[in-house]
Amino acid sequence: MPETTFLDATELVLNMGPQHPSTHGVLRVVLKLDGEKVLGTDCVIGYLHRGLEKVAENRTWVQFNPYVDRLDYVAAVSNSLAYCLAVEKLLNVEAPPRAQAVRVILTELNRIGSHLLWLGTHALDIGAITPVFYCFREREESIKILEKYCGARLTTHAFRIGGLPAEPYDGFQKDVLAFCEMFLPKVDEYEELLTNNRIWIGRLQNVGVLTAGECKEYGVTGPMLRAAGVKWDIRKALPYSGYDKYDFEIPTRTNGDTYDRYLVRIQEMRQSARIARQAAESLPDGPIMAKVSKVVKPPVGEAYVSIEAPKGELGFYVVSDGSAQPYRVRVRPPSFVNLQALDRMVRGALIADVVAVIGTLDIVLGEVDR
Amino acid sequence: MPDEPKPTTPAAPPAAPAPPKAAPPKPPAVMAWTPLESELATELKRQFGDRVVEASSYVGQSFFVVKRDEVISIIEYLKVEANFDYLVDITAVDWPKRVERFDLIYIVYSFALNERIRIKTTIPDGFRPESAVRVHRTANWLEREVFDMFGIEFAGHPDLRRILLPEEWQGHPLRKEYPLLQQDQDWVQTNLDIERGQ
Amino acid sequence: MMPALLKKILLGDLWEGLRVTFRNQNPKYIYTEQYPSQRPVVPERYRGAPRLRTDPATGKTLCNGCGACALACPEDLIVVGSERNPETKKKELVTYTFDLSRCMFCGLCQEACPTDAIVLTQGFELAMYSREGQIWDRQRLEEGLKPTVYKC
Repeated sequence: MPETTFLDATELVLNMGPQHPSTHGVLRVVLKLDGEKVLGTDCVIGYLHRGLEKVAENRTWVQFNPYVDRLDYVAAVSNSLAYCLAVEKLLNVEAPPRAQAVRVILTELNRIGSHLLWLGTHALDIGAITPVFYCFREREESIKILEKYCGARLTTHAFRIGGLPAEPYDGFQKDVLAFCEMFLPKVDEYEELLTNNRIWIGRLQNVGVLTAGECKEYGVTGPMLRAAGVKWDIRKALPYSGYDKYDFEIPTRTNGDTYDRYLVRIQEMRQSARIARQAAESLPDGPIMAKVSKVVKPPVGEAYVSIEAPKGELGFYVVSDGSAQPYRVRVRPPSFVNLQALDRMVRGALIADVVAVIGTLDIVLGEVDR
Repeated sequence: MPDEPKPTTPAAPPAAPAPPKAAPPKPPAVMAWTPLESELATELKRQFGDRVVEASSYVGQSFFVVKRDEVISIIEYLKVEANFDYLVDITAVDWPKRVERFDLIYIVYSFALNERIRIKTTIPDGFRPESAVRVHRTANWLEREVFDMFGIEFAGHPDLRRILLPEEWQGHPLRKEYPLLQQDQDWVQTNLDIERGQ
Repeated sequence: MMPALLKKILLGDLWEGLRVTFRNQNPKYIYTEQYPSQRPVVPERYRGAPRLRTDPATGKTLCNGCGACALACPEDLIVVGSERNPETKKKELVTYTFDLSRCMFCGLCQEACPTDAIVLTQGFELAMYSREGQIWDRQRLEEGLKPTVYKC
């Protein structure tokens, strides 16, 4: 009787290990393959787990603020905004209008920066090496504004509980308007490079389809939900920080495949530039900090506040026991919840599609693992 | 914050110690919630009676405290009848001084009504709540994380194992008795081949 | 119909992308900074190397030993040693230690300081050859960072 060798096996388990250029961080995906077709995946995460939620219980409310930047380190300002909004909700204060407008400007600039980094690395994974350079060139411009404002490029610590740390520097409005004007033709340039490119379309269309019902079932939010056809954006549904004053659209598409998500994010970049321009043109005067005591001691209670981060719904559930230290800070990370849908999206696809889908999920492991 | 009716159990923060002066000791601070008057609250109370213990609101956010065996049926009812089709988050809070030490919190959102509510329940250590996976698929990883960090096992979960920490790790870090700088020394020494992780 | 087919055969969409690339080959778009001969211009508010400031007129340190920076630091890496001066009855600074290896450059110390003594300057060349070199004492903090000047 002939012996069966490994060549007779139909199922192969392949490890796309934590050190892999296409997994956008330390993500390990164990693939079960039949030839090159994927039968199932199992994500192993936790390589970047730093225990931020435990650290929060051992620092004061104000001291935890710099740690929050390290969650989604690509768009650090959004995390800071969500945390400050959550603590302000507990304290029942609202930042003054000038602070809200500057917060909106910086968050939108960061959203542009995050989508630019996403576009560059996603294109790089697919094989298009050029967009990375142009995207990082523009990201550099947005980071320069942040650097001039708060002093750091990546881990910005840009907001404080109750408002802003300092007045915007002289020339802030001019810089933001110049950036918005410079940026819009560049988006057209990226579209020229990629949107009609037959290789791009071939690699991305009908890959990783996630319908609207599946998105809601898996709790997927952000551009992925909008590409599936659900016109939902927290900035419009539950507005925060003065977003209801600005006029912008929510781009949606219908198919819910990777190509649609690309188009949605490109449109979002344009809308973000539009919001930033409106906010910079109409920057109100006034104080930059609400009446918050130096030692922040919210009354006993809890609150859940979420914002529309570039990756999806980023929420902070904060529990206070009346002291200066948080009792519990829970981060609801968009990338963690979106990553669950990976298994659903790559059933029956090829390995190259797994790479495309991980790219389109736009995960940042800092957020997934905390 | 107390989730049972106020008169019976004090809140977890320790009561102020009796000061040396003659002033009476201050009662422990509690969350200043207000009762919730809304359609949803009346509907839920009508449907589930006394299994919904409280319907309240704090800083404008509404939450319902329910009995621990009824959580999944309430979440299912909310999804099917009241259109709360998006499970935002599942998390837990540890109050070690209480008998029922964990607060289990489910946050759900309805796209149609644009409303977000919290369902809270309290469970003692060792209790195995029912898993929400059959109602919302999002609950899969969220419950794995609660198990990993707190040690709360969910009955009926298809694949309950640790997600953020290695599989063989001992201990549940977000419990209050786990020190901040502690690590599972055995795991670190066998797997990383170093004395300590720090 | 025909122009579309022709465009497809002659790779029209690929040339569209290549046009962008060729346009960007113009030497005026070179962004590379020639470091270290050209040091980058760092903005004023940059949170870099810490510095313990002294009063330029008298040369005495601005720090009054209050320890607010040590309390504010999330990482607890500042150690302030002070003693009470028997003549003026005020606290005076004796030793000040700052552990740069654990610092996250958040700026909470400079916000907490009542006399603006500890500031985070624009120095970013903080690489050292040893771990102990990252623990700065008072004298090193008052001197500040002196990056090497290269003649290229």
